Amino acid sequence: MFYRESGQLKSSYPADQAIFPIAQDRWFVIGVLAAAFLVIPLFINQYWANAVLLPFLVYALAALGLNILTGYCGQVSLGTGAFMAVGAYASFKLVGFFPELNFLIVLALSGVITAVVGMIFGLPSLRIKGFYLAVATLAAQFFLVWMFNKVGWFYDYNLTGMITVRPIDFFGIRITGPEATPAAKYLFTLTVVCVLALSAKNIVRGRIGREWMAIRDMDIAAELIGIRPLQAKLSAFAVSSFYIGVAGALYFAVYLGAVEPVEAFDINQSFYVLFIIIIGGLGSVLGAFLGSAFIVLVPILLKNIMVGGMGFDSGMAGHVEILLMGMLIIFFLIVEPHGLARLWQIAKEKLRLWPFPH
Amino acid sequence: MLTEQATETLLQVDAISLSFGGVHALVDVSFDIRKGEVRSIIGPNGAGKSSMLNVINGFYHPQKGTITYQGHARKQMRPYGAAAGGIARTFQNIALFKGMSTLDNIMTGRSTHMSKSLFWQALRIGPAQREEIEHREFVEHVIDFLEIQSIRKTPVGRLPYGLQKRVELGRALAAEPKLLLLDEPMAGMNLEEKEDMSRFILETNDEFGTTIALIEHDMGVVMDISDRVVVLDYGRKIAEGTPEEVRADQNVIDAYLGVSHD
Repeated sequence: MFYRESGQLKSSYPADQAIFPIAQDRWFVIGVLAAAFLVIPLFINQYWANAVLLPFLVYALAALGLNILTGYCGQVSLGTGAFMAVGAYASFKLVGFFPELNFLIVLALSGVITAVVGMIFGLPSLRIKGFYLAVATLAAQFFLVWMFNKVGWFYDYNLTGMITVRPIDFFGIRITGPEATPAAKYLFTLTVVCVLALSAKNIVRGRIGREWMAIRDMDIAAELIGIRPLQAKLSAFAVSSFYIGVAGALYFAVYLGAVEPVEAFDINQSFYVLFIIIIGGLGSVLGAFLGSAFIVLVPILLKNIMVGGMGFDSGMAGHVEILLMGMLIIFFLIVEPHGLARLWQIAKEKLRLWPFPH
Repeated sequence: MLTEQATETLLQVDAISLSFGGVHALVDVSFDIRKGEVRSIIGPNGAGKSSMLNVINGFYHPQKGTITYQGHARKQMRPYGAAAGGIARTFQNIALFKGMSTLDNIMTGRSTHMSKSLFWQALRIGPAQREEIEHREFVEHVIDFLEIQSIRKTPVGRLPYGLQKRVELGRALAAEPKLLLLDEPMAGMNLEEKEDMSRFILETNDEFGTTIALIEHDMGVVMDISDRVVVLDYGRKIAEGTPEEVRADQNVIDAYLGVSHD
């Protein structure tokens, strides 16, 4: 009744190709962004930033990166944790070498370094596909984490083997370490994530995104209409790794502050991000955010309900939470194998017709 | 159809032999395709017709023989190289990108004409936006031409077979090919769909001057729309000429109807 596209006629191609061609969608997104940028910073505290919002944003960004590779270009990767580690260590070393460098440039350079590493480990994709490629990317996972753990240069020969972020000011405002306010950390991360999400959307609806999807859907036909598999696959690895690298740098510098590679970037991390995009929806930018919200936020919600509302002790709540998460994941995958993004799409289509059934 | 300048050769196939292990798919096949004509390749099942198309657009590499395209002889070529040179094709079994809309499928056909870098595409302002709009306009012409306006935003996986074939033709046309290879464009279609498809093929040939090489089993269609026909059987060329000549050729009749050996 309220959600109709009738009467919204497009008279130009740019209007027809807009990200949100329907006016109601546009207003909804503007509303969400306004709340995220203006309202949340007023109320944010240490708990909300560290337990909820920062992990949500960082994992959404990593999932966006993996979705470019897996969802759009069809190349399965299990090296996400390692690529996040590359981004994290790159930002650590860069800040060490150039303490005065603007942190945005540090992030971008960390992303570029990760992109180069990702392209190297993406080379096998030219010959192998599917599960076999996933196994080949495991090499990246194990080798890189081992390297960051063993080679002292990466952690500045620190006795603990951990890397700890230096205090960084961004235009005079502290954004890392314990002195940074939750609002500053949150707003910085949110801005980076929003800008990168918009760029990702632009890329996937342009020529390069179409070439990735062509390779994903039918690689032989793609080659016969003039798409070079080498360029398409490696560019997907590069862009994907760039996003994952930036996510890794934010994960280390802004969110955690100190990491130890074997724990923070192990294969569970790779699976975690892969689950996010499967639950959220492969080949969807929105899906990365929905999936991240589901995987990161629902456990916290369940825990709070069980400990706060039902009086479970926290150990018991932890077990029940894992159980319930597993059941919810199976439930959602059965209801909609294409993920939450598709569910959202169906809901919108239903809403267009509401209150009529057809 | 043929015009006076049409005597110029666009593609020359010279003594091509292709075998897979002990199977000889093509043996010493030679023919030419002239600029602006509709050239049909016919033959019974397993005659090597699809192999011939695959050789022309670089998907198979023949052991012997050369292909001369636009005056340049080549031995080895990758499919994307052929596409960049202006050879487009459709497939016997539809090879659309199932997860994408009709519009995106046809836009993908214009990839070789687009060049703006990742950086501009990520920003999608200025050059990249202009490029996108400019090519969208061309794609809209193709969509109008094929009369598929109403399915512009539909994912192609949901379309019926006949329309999928049409979208696939659209994707090939979007590349503005000099040579269009059609592998059984009418397979599995009903009469009405065949008539539509024949009309699109002839109009493509007429309006854009696109040279067309097609494989087809429906003899009525082949005889109606082709300028010249080449007939393959067991990988060898057994006849060549205008539809009338081929129809009267004893070798062709034998190949299709069988010969009695008594």
